[in-house]
Amino acid sequence: MSALMDQSTQTVLVGTGALIELLLKGEFICRTTNEEGWRALKNNSTRERVEAYLNQINRTVASAAEGDVFFCGYLQLGDSERKVISSQFKDICQSLIPLVEWLVLVQEASGQDAPLNEGAPVRLTELQSRIEDTPAFREQLAKLSQYRLFGSTSSNSDAQIKLVFKRLVELGYLVRPNVEKQIYIATGKLDYLYEVIRFIDETEGLSLEAQAETATQRDLI
Amino acid sequence: MSSNLHQAGVKLLKQLGRHADIIMDTYLAGSLNEDAHDPSVVEKLKQAGILWRPEPDQELRLKRSVRALLEEGLSDERNRQIDSNVGSALATIKTLADHYKEARHSSDYSAAEAYLSDLSEHVYSFADSLRYSIRVLWGRINNEFGYVGTINAKIRENELAQSQVSELLNGLEMFQFSELGEIAGDIRELRKLIVTTLQETMSDCAQELSVVQGRLLELLGRFRQIRGRTRLLKGWLLYTDLHPDYRPADHVSHKEIPSLFNRAEFLLAPAAVDVHNASQELELMGIVAHIKAISRHPVVAAVRERDAPVSLTQSEDFDVPDNPLKQAVDEYFVDVIESGLRQSALEYLADKALPWNAESWIYQVIGGYEGLPDEHKAYFELEPLGEPHPIYSGNFIIRDVELWLA
Repeated sequence: MSALMDQSTQTVLVGTGALIELLLKGEFICRTTNEEGWRALKNNSTRERVEAYLNQINRTVASAAEGDVFFCGYLQLGDSERKVISSQFKDICQSLIPLVEWLVLVQEASGQDAPLNEGAPVRLTELQSRIEDTPAFREQLAKLSQYRLFGSTSSNSDAQIKLVFKRLVELGYLVRPNVEKQIYIATGKLDYLYEVIRFIDETEGLSLEAQAETATQRDLI
Repeated sequence: MSSNLHQAGVKLLKQLGRHADIIMDTYLAGSLNEDAHDPSVVEKLKQAGILWRPEPDQELRLKRSVRALLEEGLSDERNRQIDSNVGSALATIKTLADHYKEARHSSDYSAAEAYLSDLSEHVYSFADSLRYSIRVLWGRINNEFGYVGTINAKIRENELAQSQVSELLNGLEMFQFSELGEIAGDIRELRKLIVTTLQETMSDCAQELSVVQGRLLELLGRFRQIRGRTRLLKGWLLYTDLHPDYRPADHVSHKEIPSLFNRAEFLLAPAAVDVHNASQELELMGIVAHIKAISRHPVVAAVRERDAPVSLTQSEDFDVPDNPLKQAVDEYFVDVIESGLRQSALEYLADKALPWNAESWIYQVIGGYEGLPDEHKAYFELEPLGEPHPIYSGNFIIRDVELWLA
């Protein structure tokens, strides 16, 4: 009996250990990337345990997208922490345009109502053939693949799209559950990205949604 | 009279059954292609009131009642029709109740019986139509308005459903049970029918409708969120196109940093042991020594993750250029065969004035002899000439070799 209990506490500890490690690696934890860890963080008692550990090294569990994405933030902000945050903010601002262009391309090429969000699958071969069949999509792909975020120098759309997807997996926006299949799944980091755009939109008063609506209405007329 | 009605009903139903194919085609297509069917059959259906022509130059369509029967029977999700006209149902129920009371009062029991059964029919069918409406709403919610394609259409469908729910709820409010109670008075049958039964139905339906309303709002929120995201992305692209030099403001320079941007730098990089660092060798050895392989499972043969490509092709031809020393030795052997005489290797070397060092020559001759296949070797005899080593016994120093035919 006691052996059994020992074992169960041990696995819990090992579980949070792995979770803390992932958080400290700067990874986003969502249902798609790590369902077990995500559940553990959704659970108050495990989350508190992780939080207590992280607090000792001036870290905290932060969440976004209505608590469906977790990442590691600073507990107290000193000058050096601010510097890190500021450089990260610059990075994400630079990657916004290429990522948004990519999201719109995927949505339009696959003819979907909704842009990609966490858990949505992307079939690369299908998408690729659709993009290759349409000159406008091909141009968009060529344009966005040359951004520094993706850094493609190829003029071949096959190489461009493969590189873009490879980079997106590296950056954590997509996961590829089976290396033998060309099926990618969007992660919670994309939902984080939407939140960043919405934040900028609201804080700077850009009223992006209204602009898009009037533009589509003009198109309809 | 009633047997006439019965016969006519059976006839109508049989007609429906006989022409089921045409009716279903019309139901699915919306209207009937008259050229594809027998005109006499079409005419019969028209007379029976199953098909009708809304306008002179329009195609024939199914009558609403037949359509409704099919929609309900097939639970067709495209059915958006909801009968929210509670007012007229309520008025009918009240009127029938008054008829019944009057007939009872004048002791016309057969008429009262007829009115009561009519009234029960109305009350039950009213309850059924309410429950049916709710079922239809649930059907639409459960497949998230899957019968329309775009998010905007889904939002409109959702708004339609919400207005239907509020109409139904408003209709239900029209039922004043105190008034119905007064109408029913102390007549037990009437009370049971228009107070107890109706009240139960009402409270059930009102409860369910509020759940439906909640779900509809939730769905609407989700649809709007999806539409909002699409617009957000499009708006972003539009904005950055219009303002190419736009850069987001520095939102992290304030004193209070939005928690969204509070992301810690990664603290752990992927770790690996530095096996080339000699100063750690001792510790590493210690760690390795402590590793215990515990295998509770039988060792599984390693499976290759992917096939290593193996192709079978003709192996390429290659040749090793012959060593001239070896060729000279071969000539020496041939010379021995031709002359048939016993010949010393060193003498041969001197005779032919070959350029090689005596020692390598002798080695090569011995090697050439030993390298012959056994059957060829048997034709030759090789005798080393020399003396034993003066100091170390067992060693024989070869000065020359002689070769002859056996």
